[in-house]
Amino acid sequence: MNERRRPVDPRLVLKRAAGMGAIAGLVGVYLSLVGIVERFETRNVVTGVVTLGLLTVAIAILVAAFVAPRLPRAWGMAEPSRGLKFAASLLAGAAAAAVLVLFLIAVESLDLRDIFPNASPSLARILSLGMDGPTGWAALAAMCLAIGAIAGALHALRSRDRQPLVAAMAAVLLVSLMEPFLNNVFLQLRQNALAGFVYERSGLTIPAALLVFFVVLAVGAFETYRGEQARERVDSLPEATRRNVKYVTLFFVGVLLLILPHLMGVFLSEVVGTVGLYILMGLGLNIVVGYAGLLDLGYVAFFAVGAYATALLTSPASSLGLGLDFWIALPIVMVIAAITGITIGAPVLRLRGDYLAIVTLGFGEIVRILLLSDALRPIFGGAQGILAIPPPEIGDLRLAGPVNLYYPILAFVILGAFVAWTLANSRIGRAWNAMREDEEVAAATGINTTNYKLLAFAIGAVFGCVAGAFLSVKIGVVFPQRLDILVSITVLSLIILGGMGSIRGVILGAFVLVGLPELLREFAEYRLLIYGGVLVTMMLLRPEGLLPNRSRQRELHEEHDAEETQYQQRAGGDTGAPAISTP
Amino acid sequence: MRFLSRPERLTRLGVILWALRIALIAFVVAGSYATLSGASGSPVLSPEGWRDLIIFGIAQGSVYALIALGYTLVYGILFMINFAHGEIFMAGAFTGFFVAVALAEEGIMEANPVLGIVILLLSSMITSMIVAVLLERIAYRPLRRAPRLVPLITAIGASLVLQYSFRGIYGSGVRAYPLPDAIRGRVEILGIPILRSQLIVVIAAVLLMFALYYLVERTRTGRSMRAVSEDKEVAALMGINVDRTIATTFAIGGLLAGAAGVLYVFIFNQVSFAMGFLPGIKAFTAAVLGGIGNIVGAMLGGLTLGILESVGPFLLLSGFGVPSTNQLRDVIAFSMLVIVLIFRPYGILGRKES
Repeated sequence: MNERRRPVDPRLVLKRAAGMGAIAGLVGVYLSLVGIVERFETRNVVTGVVTLGLLTVAIAILVAAFVAPRLPRAWGMAEPSRGLKFAASLLAGAAAAAVLVLFLIAVESLDLRDIFPNASPSLARILSLGMDGPTGWAALAAMCLAIGAIAGALHALRSRDRQPLVAAMAAVLLVSLMEPFLNNVFLQLRQNALAGFVYERSGLTIPAALLVFFVVLAVGAFETYRGEQARERVDSLPEATRRNVKYVTLFFVGVLLLILPHLMGVFLSEVVGTVGLYILMGLGLNIVVGYAGLLDLGYVAFFAVGAYATALLTSPASSLGLGLDFWIALPIVMVIAAITGITIGAPVLRLRGDYLAIVTLGFGEIVRILLLSDALRPIFGGAQGILAIPPPEIGDLRLAGPVNLYYPILAFVILGAFVAWTLANSRIGRAWNAMREDEEVAAATGINTTNYKLLAFAIGAVFGCVAGAFLSVKIGVVFPQRLDILVSITVLSLIILGGMGSIRGVILGAFVLVGLPELLREFAEYRLLIYGGVLVTMMLLRPEGLLPNRSRQRELHEEHDAEETQYQQRAGGDTGAPAISTP
Repeated sequence: MRFLSRPERLTRLGVILWALRIALIAFVVAGSYATLSGASGSPVLSPEGWRDLIIFGIAQGSVYALIALGYTLVYGILFMINFAHGEIFMAGAFTGFFVAVALAEEGIMEANPVLGIVILLLSSMITSMIVAVLLERIAYRPLRRAPRLVPLITAIGASLVLQYSFRGIYGSGVRAYPLPDAIRGRVEILGIPILRSQLIVVIAAVLLMFALYYLVERTRTGRSMRAVSEDKEVAALMGINVDRTIATTFAIGGLLAGAAGVLYVFIFNQVSFAMGFLPGIKAFTAAVLGGIGNIVGAMLGGLTLGILESVGPFLLLSGFGVPSTNQLRDVIAFSMLVIVLIFRPYGILGRKES
């Protein structure tokens, strides 16, 4: 079908480029006004060269300038020439420059701080690259144009040359963002010299940045040019060797996981522990949302039930005053969890997907308000919550502190992942699959949809409650303020980022969405903005998630493919063939 | 007598639901009786007190109704819950704040309160409309053929993005609204003293609802909206621009939400980035209560919920000796949400479908 394309109309291409550049400029204005530019400015990417604040604006322009010359397929135009592509990228940069310079002038000359607190002189200083007056405007414009030129130059490369280059740049950014983690590990291992070589004032040093860049570039280039051969050679290894390699890798991963808290120290263990709790919740919600297809927005209710049940049972200071051992309380909490799951689940099961989401949201809020209310204060302690929750003990060992608590959390995460994996590949998992794809057909084939939905709710609730139980022993107190809908949203976001129904996805999502903001204080403030952005962009661009579950991916793209064949049929109609053939 | 001769098979779920229903009714009856009779030595409210609660309920209910109309219009045409509608409302209220400050500084609010309020309303309505249309264009239009949960998740994301963008751009503090003198104080109507702000809210809301009703039932735009909601493909074949009609629907929902934003602030006097969440959820409850997709239903649902929320906590709970019932206001609203969705998801005016 590609042979019958219209010739390129340069005016249309340039018009589109100017529009996209202007949008990128507006994105820059938005990032500035929201405060991201100024807040992220404190973090160096490559110390002395690039800071994260300005980089966010630069990336927006780079993406727009790179995408601008790529015409949408619906236009039906031929590929623009190289010169035109470069001109379009440059024009996009210029349009972004125009918008941003106007904004900069506005910030410098008008005092907008009554309305926009972030439109401050320090923002102007960042945008003008630290220069004053017209020199600063020129500097900003030059930066935008340079980015446009870079984007244009990227187009001149073949895509297989471009990929390693982009990967290398991304790797520098990633390694730089890992600073709080890696630096901490280096210092914990007393590798001060190494830490000093790699990082300086929250960013990479120039030599370290170059090192990372060229190593990744080399690996990428090898992958591009020799990757196919290497993969063939690995595939031709005997079965036994490959299995051994796998076991050895697993062994090393296991050892690493076991010594990790000692490598990381207290602060990082604390962070990883929190990530572990979110992985547990993610696995649980994944069963409800990803496997059974029931969107539960009140998942925090189970987290809260788990935390409060544990607190009531184990804390001598609680209204029950039982002071049970954690390991005796945990099974009781799990039973309570399952019952809560079924109680909340039973009345809402008949509802359609979107209503179910809102009802569960209502349940989550009701639980929180009740826990917080004065009316139930004698039982749950109102806003103060329940104090003095003792840490779990194994024999004489008190599992207090993040380093010790890491181990039971790790054990439960592994157990949870195993349970989730087993369930997904069992008869139950297949029933959920069928139910999610078409409930009526599933019911017609003899699946008791009510029971399977209740089962999903109950299992999901147990996961959430176990996470809640560990939360309560981790911080030693429970109080309702932090148990709000944002927990549910966080768990939902990490599932969506990783991929619904995907266990690897949950783990990735938890590390990125929970771990990173804990480490990078700059992100913490914009956490929920980022979660919202993640939800929207993933749904628009990659609904199956970053590490998708295969059957799920097929499901989401089925409709898409059907549509495409339809278009093809229509396009066929133009050449005289019947658009829809009737048998 | 039909239900006696041919009983439906009672499932386990059915039994649970009936038990829940009976427990609920018993709770409502016992609670109201205990409060009204003043049995447990609970504080008794004077008739004037009850009347004021109800008037307050009507005022906030008419705001809920305006927001609920936005949910209902969008649901009627796209069958999706626009979860971010509360944020559209917030956007209007927030803009209204800056306009109100400017108007107060220029002295327009004092010199000509009617003009001031009209400017205030128009600016908020237009802002909310722009936000709503952009939202539809960027986040919802590409997903029109996606599975049902996908647009809902997008809407949740959009709601977060809007909330926290406003927080970032305008700051996280709660800001007190400069109310003009014209809407302070009370007026007497039929011998009943009513807060002037509440009266303005109710009148404005009723006018807007009439305008909407006229628009949907009597104009060309309204006819194309109804056609698109019946069947998008047939509507397209009849020469209706479906995309534009959907955008118009979002725009109208946004206009109403923007007006609701200003009116809400007349009652509660403050704005913040988080103010959209609760009214949004409550208005959604109102929309479902009235039968989602049903315009008159949304108005009735809004009023019902507003009054219940205002009267309910005291009426139902104080009889049992529950302290500080006002803290549990939102529990009443959320319980209404849960109860309505479980027992009557097609609403009071809607008919039972599939």
